[in-house]
Amino acid sequence: MYARRAAQLLQELSSCEEGQLPPYNGDKFDQVIRECEEHSRQFQSLIRDKDIETKNEDHYGSFIHHLSIIRNKRCLMAYMYKRAEVIQSYRWNVGRVLPREIQDKLNFSEQEYFKDYCGVIDSYMKDLDLDLTVDMVPPKDPYIRVRVLSEIGEVSLGDHAVSLTKDSFHFLRRTDAEPFISQGLMEEFVE
Amino acid sequence: MPGYYDISDILMEDEAVSVAFHVGANGVGLLDPGTETNSVEKGAKIDLPFWLAHELCRRRAVSITIPSCFGQKMKKDVQADAACVDLGTRYPYFYEFGCKLFPLVGDKSIGLFLRHTFANRYKEMLSKSHTASLNAIPKFVLRLSKEEYQLFEAARSSMVEFKKWRVRDLGLMKTTIVGHKRKTDLH
Repeated sequence: MYARRAAQLLQELSSCEEGQLPPYNGDKFDQVIRECEEHSRQFQSLIRDKDIETKNEDHYGSFIHHLSIIRNKRCLMAYMYKRAEVIQSYRWNVGRVLPREIQDKLNFSEQEYFKDYCGVIDSYMKDLDLDLTVDMVPPKDPYIRVRVLSEIGEVSLGDHAVSLTKDSFHFLRRTDAEPFISQGLMEEFVE
Repeated sequence: MPGYYDISDILMEDEAVSVAFHVGANGVGLLDPGTETNSVEKGAKIDLPFWLAHELCRRRAVSITIPSCFGQKMKKDVQADAACVDLGTRYPYFYEFGCKLFPLVGDKSIGLFLRHTFANRYKEMLSKSHTASLNAIPKFVLRLSKEEYQLFEAARSSMVEFKKWRVRDLGLMKTTIVGHKRKTDLH
């Protein structure tokens, strides 16, 4: 009671590293909501048939219950908000498809939120005709060396065609190579 | 100013303070472990979380006693050696808590005390943060409060970035050194 459990939820969240999430603690979340309902019941019983203006003991008791509900609400909102922020960052740092370990930590509505967020970003990038998620760090060199991992075949890049056979090395422009690298068909060759 | 969603602000307000009630309050017996009825008596002394004490104090229902972290013993410790005081384990929210508590309690000296403590600890923290490497965590870091730790991390990471910048590969073309053709003086 009195927002102690809600504070524990937030402790759990803040003890994780930056950019990581603990698994969604649905049990504790529901317990906090039940506590709010209990505070509300007590509040109603203290307020009933009383004159609102007189500042007697019932008034202060009901005020404490009211403050507890407001406090629980703030804790739960902050919990959801922080998790939503981290989920948004996953789209930029991890990509469109989340690995299994991350997906297990999200509850159903958070997974839906991630899908909707990806959809919004994609439609925005389509309108701009620009992929915002490549080159998050400005590259030193417009060209990179790549090694082809699986057979792609003939691809026309710009004004010349390149034959991308398996295990061949090429020196390509970074923007041409990036879609193949993100699909796993090529890798950057670092000496 | 910390926002509504700021988690460290919310956790800071969970710190317990000792209050004395000026009024009674019904229906909240759980706050006072010593009570038999479901209410708190006028004049009772209880520990409340700061968020609750803060609101009640504003409406003059309770008065807050100054917690031990700003008491005489602490002042003596800081006088002796400010940098050795262990804020990290005992009072991680020392400064934020003091700033919020200060207007509610009638003690004007808390503000000066906070500034004095911070100024004395800052010197050592500055020198340690510039020499610390990224991987090793000096023991002294465990003694810092949350706010001091953020400053420490900022200084440490900016120092590391500076060192990286100094030895960076500029990617300039290296010219061959054109040697001076020496005319040997034969006579």
